[in-house]
Amino acid sequence: MEQLINDLKLQIKEALNLEELSMEEFDENAPLFGEDGIGLDSIDVLEIIVLLEKNYGIRLANPKEGRAIFQSVKTIAEYVQANRKK
Amino acid sequence: MISVIATNITSPLGFTTEENYQAVLSGCSALKRYEGLWGLPEPFAASLFTEEQKAALAIEGYTFFEALAIRSIRKALTYTSLGNDISRIVLILSTTKGNIEALGEACYYPSEAAQRIAEAIGLTTKPIVVCNACVSGLSAQLLADRLLSEGIYDYAIVVGAEVQSKFIVSGFQCLKAVSEEPCRPFDIERNGLNPGEAAATIVFARDANKERWSYSQMIGKKEHWCLISGASCNDAYHNVSPSPQGDGLTSAINAVMKGRDKSQLATICAHGTATLYNDQMESVAIQRAGLSDIPLSALKGYYGHTMGAAGVLETILTMIATGDGIILPSKGFTESGVSGNVNIIDEQKKTDKRAFLKIMSGFGGCNVAAMYERTTDNGQALARRSQQSTDNVKLVKAHTIRLSSEDGKTLTDIYKQQIGDYPKFYKMDLLTRLAFVATEKTLSNSPLKGEDKMPALILFNHSSSIVADRQFLDTIKDAEDFFPSPSLFVYTLPNITTGEIAIRHHLQGETSFYILPDKDEALMQQILEASLAGTDTTTAICGWVDAESETCYECELSVYNII
Repeated sequence: MEQLINDLKLQIKEALNLEELSMEEFDENAPLFGEDGIGLDSIDVLEIIVLLEKNYGIRLANPKEGRAIFQSVKTIAEYVQANRKK
Repeated sequence: MISVIATNITSPLGFTTEENYQAVLSGCSALKRYEGLWGLPEPFAASLFTEEQKAALAIEGYTFFEALAIRSIRKALTYTSLGNDISRIVLILSTTKGNIEALGEACYYPSEAAQRIAEAIGLTTKPIVVCNACVSGLSAQLLADRLLSEGIYDYAIVVGAEVQSKFIVSGFQCLKAVSEEPCRPFDIERNGLNPGEAAATIVFARDANKERWSYSQMIGKKEHWCLISGASCNDAYHNVSPSPQGDGLTSAINAVMKGRDKSQLATICAHGTATLYNDQMESVAIQRAGLSDIPLSALKGYYGHTMGAAGVLETILTMIATGDGIILPSKGFTESGVSGNVNIIDEQKKTDKRAFLKIMSGFGGCNVAAMYERTTDNGQALARRSQQSTDNVKLVKAHTIRLSSEDGKTLTDIYKQQIGDYPKFYKMDLLTRLAFVATEKTLSNSPLKGEDKMPALILFNHSSSIVADRQFLDTIKDAEDFFPSPSLFVYTLPNITTGEIAIRHHLQGETSFYILPDKDEALMQQILEASLAGTDTTTAICGWVDAESETCYECELSVYNII
């Protein structure tokens, strides 16, 4: 799980060009949206959906389904672990 | 105020305005479901030309996009004569992705396509390409109004054209914006747009007295249509999601309707893409502008979203229908799924009113509204042009900044050393980074005046969004590694650059992106003066921003005070 969380952080940081967010600061429990968290927006979610398909073979057709999944890196990791196809 | 003297619609529903009008009147739609087309893994519904239609429209030596535009213009020109002085005629091309399928070849550049189209119809003036995403077709008509009203040209041929492709459809699919069923504007069940292809042409004349629009022959009435007034306002909110309160669209509608009687309006032709956010926002803006009771029609259930063509095509159809005393039903609509109080028309209605409003909104936060009115043979338009002449307008450069790939400093270096407080910089494509850094630098020397609520941003270039186009293409060209990137696709619309800067600096005036054959300073100056005359805008950021590659870019941006 720890490895998966770390992989996801790296992949998200790269795919979303989170240049100024260091890996140390990147808290897997921090909310991904809103000003108190990582501050992602709707396009970022779509980019994470692409990333999940590319790296883990997970297809999320409707971004609305993702609301619970995309709370934090931790919740994404739990979803990936349960549903990954590669 | 300028007059419409000829029109054409060339679409899968027909190759003339009349064929299209009759098809829509009888409820036809060109929307079909496609599965596996262009190797796309997900199905989609679209309005596409058949192979037979494509063969009939093709012109040897031209791409299909160019041929489509040329055919449409030539058909329109059969209804009118433009006089002999071709130096007084300008071509304005509205498209979002033009010859995108030719990426890598010379004709990819939208201005090259425009030049080939202009030459094919015998013009020698420099064509102007309007690239404001979905609102381009209305922006192009506003530009025609300005250039003709200021006497720079006598005639403007406004052609909107779009050809669909794997590039565009995969892009909108990865944004989860495409429906696999025929779209349902404003409906509770709506779930996305349908891509459409078409070309549509309006020929405008400066002097209405010399010409009469051919549609009088078509439906036997001695009347013609005028573009009375138009306005363009940015949300300054988000590049892809419209302002939930419809701020920009409300401002644009209010600017157009200022001092005018809404009871003159037969109808509002909505943008109505059938995406959740667009239709919802439009309903809110219409209510806020006090136009809840005006009959609202959305035409995308017939044609899908024809993108660069949409603003021209939907204007023509609404003109013809209103002239014929008819309000067209919104095909696909059955039950309202928007919160704003709007009067959506779901079956054909009669009208005896003489004016209508066309509205559009698009990526990059841009919104445009325009009002049209029909006048009788010897009558005058009821409404008068509100713009003043540019004779009274002076653009004074407050500060200019030049940046180029020759400077020896990368944009990232400049950002880190001199700006540094906007991490979104790293998400931007090269074109946007270039314009962003230049804007930051020039505004640090000459800040916008606080009292101007409507600062404008008008940019020009030659290379469109070529760097982002190449990057996005890389994500879709390999079938085994097909992962279209939503964030890259967004930047394949060059006006996203204007949207990013509008958000950063709360620019709620006009934002426009024009593509020219070259950095023609005189033409740019004419466009700027014509655009900024008679508006509430007192400050503007304008200039040239061109990025061919990481090692070849150039930007010259100025802050202007308008006095």
